[in-house]
Amino acid sequence: MEKRVVPLTALRDGETGIITSVKAGYGRGRRRGGFGVEKRLMDMGLTPGTKVTVVKSAPFHGPLEILVRGSRLALGRGIAEKIFVEVER
Amino acid sequence: MSKGKLLIALAGNANVGKSVIFNYLTGLHQHIGNWPGKTVEKAEGTLHFKGYTIDIIDLPGIYSLSTYSLEELISRRYIAVEKPDVVINVVDASILERNLYFTLQLMELETPMVIALNQMDVASRKGIRIDVDKLERLLGVPVIPTVAVKGVGIFRLLEKAIEVVEEKHIVKHAPIRFGLEIEERILKLTKMVENLKLQYPSRYVAIKLLEGDEEVKEEVLRLNPEIVAVAKKLAEEIEKIHGHSCSTVIVAERYEIAGRIAREVQTLVPSIKPKLEERLHNLTTHKVAGYAIMAFSLLTIFYSVFTIGGYVSDLLNELFYTVEPFFYNLLGVGAVGKLIWSIIEGVIAGITIALPYIVPFYIILYFLEDSGYLSRIAFLMDNIMHKIGLHGKAFIPLILGYGCNVPACLGCRIMETERERILAVFVTTLVPCAARTVIILGLVGKYLGIGYALALYIFNLAIVFILGRLAFKTLPGEPTALIMEMHDYKWPHLKTVLKQTWFRLFEFIKIAFPLIILGSFAIKLIEVFGLLELVALALSPITVAWLGLPLITGVTLIFGVLRKELTLIMLATLLETENFTEVPGFGPIQMVVFTIVTMFYIPCISTIAALVKEIGWRKALFITVFEILFAVMLGGLAFRILTLISIK
Repeated sequence: MEKRVVPLTALRDGETGIITSVKAGYGRGRRRGGFGVEKRLMDMGLTPGTKVTVVKSAPFHGPLEILVRGSRLALGRGIAEKIFVEVER
Repeated sequence: MSKGKLLIALAGNANVGKSVIFNYLTGLHQHIGNWPGKTVEKAEGTLHFKGYTIDIIDLPGIYSLSTYSLEELISRRYIAVEKPDVVINVVDASILERNLYFTLQLMELETPMVIALNQMDVASRKGIRIDVDKLERLLGVPVIPTVAVKGVGIFRLLEKAIEVVEEKHIVKHAPIRFGLEIEERILKLTKMVENLKLQYPSRYVAIKLLEGDEEVKEEVLRLNPEIVAVAKKLAEEIEKIHGHSCSTVIVAERYEIAGRIAREVQTLVPSIKPKLEERLHNLTTHKVAGYAIMAFSLLTIFYSVFTIGGYVSDLLNELFYTVEPFFYNLLGVGAVGKLIWSIIEGVIAGITIALPYIVPFYIILYFLEDSGYLSRIAFLMDNIMHKIGLHGKAFIPLILGYGCNVPACLGCRIMETERERILAVFVTTLVPCAARTVIILGLVGKYLGIGYALALYIFNLAIVFILGRLAFKTLPGEPTALIMEMHDYKWPHLKTVLKQTWFRLFEFIKIAFPLIILGSFAIKLIEVFGLLELVALALSPITVAWLGLPLITGVTLIFGVLRKELTLIMLATLLETENFTEVPGFGPIQMVVFTIVTMFYIPCISTIAALVKEIGWRKALFITVFEILFAVMLGGLAFRILTLISIK
């Protein structure tokens, strides 16, 4: 078993990882500021150090279903790729 | 004995039962409108309790008080500026950690508050026991356990809220402290901003400055730019210590606190109920069964809304038009009679569209949303919808648009951000509704064959796709990626669903009826004064010269603004024939061009009203004008291309 850092999308169904970083960037910003996607992810509880379990993903390269902090979220694949997690394999 | 007025705000995450509590408290004394100058819905209600007249505001369901969305900004400003006497924070007991994250932010705003620990029944079914007293102690905020759908605890909640106001005690929330290295810097900033007289509490401003909150930063920048520079430096220091951006560190710590409190007050016991919700979730998001169930549900919904709607609509129509002869007997068929009848006709049009289609659609939509199925459909469809730049949730209004654009546009309310809502309504207005289908099938399908009608449908889909993508690319703002909670399935609270339907319907009627009546009156005015020919002539540069259509179509296109199917019906009436092939100058090409123009040229007047309700006057007008120009351009091009092809 060794620890590896991979994007969330690389997890197999049912696998759990610990978030190391989120590289969604701050975006070009909305007209009245705001932090865009990264801030939103943080607000939904996807902060570094948090355990995330991938349940499954929707067909046709659709969003991921994940479990985080006791609730179930749907996460677009595009942003899931920018969340990096540490797994033991 | 009247003790005066109170202002209570309800705040909390989405889907925690906030609107159920709101409906429970306010009954039929509510008003649903928009926040001034915004397209975010504002629900207000009044209630009399213990001698007080209490105004209740239901703030939008949100997960945070940052500036991610307009909803968050509005809620935050409302609490800080309007200073409600007390905020009732509705918390889902079954997802305590996430909900407490929001609670902690409310506490940072230093507002007097009471927590409604809702869905206690769901929590206990999931095997979660909560020590309410301990939670109260840890937060320093009164906590009342509730089961809103059954009305349990609501009375006590209200009593507690009043108690908090009457005691007038200075807010004494338990101190929520971040890590030492952050606290130090918050303290430093707090001292600096104390004299600025901002609408937010000083500590809150300090925290937000460290988080890099744009709104707060801008405000402080105006008063004292030096502080912002200091805050930036302090934030960088924190970033160096932790290796993550300062805002990430603060959010993570806040979540840590929320998690710690949740773990301290929760005891987990084996859940009593077999996980029916879980199985239902797995089934409805399954890669095969999920789509099958979705297709079946949507077909059922579509079919029932439009058969029931159609039936009721026809019935009402017939009923109303039996009055027509009596009416003309009474007032005569002169100009005055005709004009007054046009007003009545407008009302009839409004009623026959609004009631039969919008009512069942609203009910079903709220049902889907409250139960949690809507988020599963969004999950399944998100990827496909993203190709036209839409959120997965937009699939439902879009599909319903094939029946009638009016409820479909109103349904775009479910979109989370304004940008998504504008995109969704725009695309929805391009979808051929039942009335446009009548024209496609009744003209092209009947005279040119079903293949051509189908081709037009496919053409429409292509246009929807292209324009959708174009709008997606050009509309300012960041495209929102899907980050959506899929809460556990639950049985919707029927009373809340019905009340939501009723008040939103009422809101629509207020906008739509004057518009429809005005439109119908204006057109009748033109007709009565014999100006139809003149209008047709005035439009001839477009209709005849550019589109290659017969002169008379100018008139029918005007009538189509009221109801799209009128374009065809009027054509038959004006030409005094049901067989359009006999009409000179109205060959296959003209039929196709005419259909293309009707398909896109303007959302009908009821749809415009729905647009106004959802995205405001300016944007509604913009979409309308754009679609007129677009349809005319497209029709003209089609005419030339088709002529070219047929010559060869």
